Amino acid sequence: MSRTLSQEQLWLQRSERGTASVIRLVVWVALRLGRPVARALLWPVCAYFVTFSPQSRMASRDYLTRILARRPHLGDLFRHYFTFAACVLDRVYLLNDQLDRFDIEVHGEPLVLDALQGGDGCFLFGAHLGSFEVLRSLGRRQPGIQVSLVMYEDNARKINAVLNAINPALAMDIIALGRSGSMIGVESRLAQGHCIGLLVDRGLKGEGMVRRDFLGAPANFPLGPFRMAILLQRPVVVMFGLYRGGRRYEVHFERLTQAGEAGAETISVDQLLDRYVARLEHYCRLAPFNWFNFYDFWH
Amino acid sequence: MSKADSQTLAEKSLLDLIIRTLNLEIQSDAVDPKDALYDEGLGLDSIDMLEIALAVSQTYGVKLNADDENNLKIFSSLRSLSSFIEQHRSK
Repeated sequence: MSRTLSQEQLWLQRSERGTASVIRLVVWVALRLGRPVARALLWPVCAYFVTFSPQSRMASRDYLTRILARRPHLGDLFRHYFTFAACVLDRVYLLNDQLDRFDIEVHGEPLVLDALQGGDGCFLFGAHLGSFEVLRSLGRRQPGIQVSLVMYEDNARKINAVLNAINPALAMDIIALGRSGSMIGVESRLAQGHCIGLLVDRGLKGEGMVRRDFLGAPANFPLGPFRMAILLQRPVVVMFGLYRGGRRYEVHFERLTQAGEAGAETISVDQLLDRYVARLEHYCRLAPFNWFNFYDFWH
Repeated sequence: MSKADSQTLAEKSLLDLIIRTLNLEIQSDAVDPKDALYDEGLGLDSIDMLEIALAVSQTYGVKLNADDENNLKIFSSLRSLSSFIEQHRSK
């Protein structure tokens, strides 16, 4: 367990080290040279990473073998990397409010409004599957909806720096995890009627993880976010922003707790997690190359 | 001398509340009030902290402010949390 945890952290660390300078470059290329040129550049970039990142390549191959139920060939690996890179690139445009560039098909949007009707906010659980940034399209279509994101403190700091580089006008409300008072921030945002967005497929160092069958084998999932949802008795909505190639995105919202369940109070933490894992698996199968956990998820 | 001897009455009842709320399997007299609640020390995680905050506001009527810079300090130990509660309690 400790070995595998540190492996995951290594991956997080490694990707963080790269990001700072890479992101600046990506932003520059994306905004100055435009999307077609930037996308053309993704080919050599992906070829480089497929060739020189043996660990993420192994993780990609492992995942693809499970989801495709066959041995992935080089083209599959490349497509997996390219989908990831394309989503990273599009984040620049999405964060820059250039939503008109994209065809964004939204499913289940009324569910979110419905969940927010009580005025007590709701949870939006996502995953490192596709693009969480397309959520912005919802914010623009429904200006009343406020989203606060919960994330690692380091990431929060970095993302704020990146947001400043891309579009200083973006007021992204981010609650940093890893401080003892941070969860209290969640409660007060909910009380103001905010959506609290979390990517709950990865755990936080030192917090409880549980094993659940995922794509045919047990994998680790964090229990914390599910405990929090039950504890605060708020509706839970899952949200996946799938990239469908070209300029197409598909956003899916689904209620994880039904309206009759009065928020989350009548179901158990385990049940809530089971439901989430089932939906995550469903959307992975719907858009297999959108899986962006490039580390040994099943360790 | 057990560590409970150094706990004040207020600290002891807060600790009991924490143990009850979180179903902790520890003896209250084994806790040093100056030990950290988070990570090492009692080994609580951030969701545990949230549960404590909710229980504290129900029991003592003390509302913990989300954006309070002092949260880190308030939650650092049983002693600091207890003294914050004693200063602000309405129940």
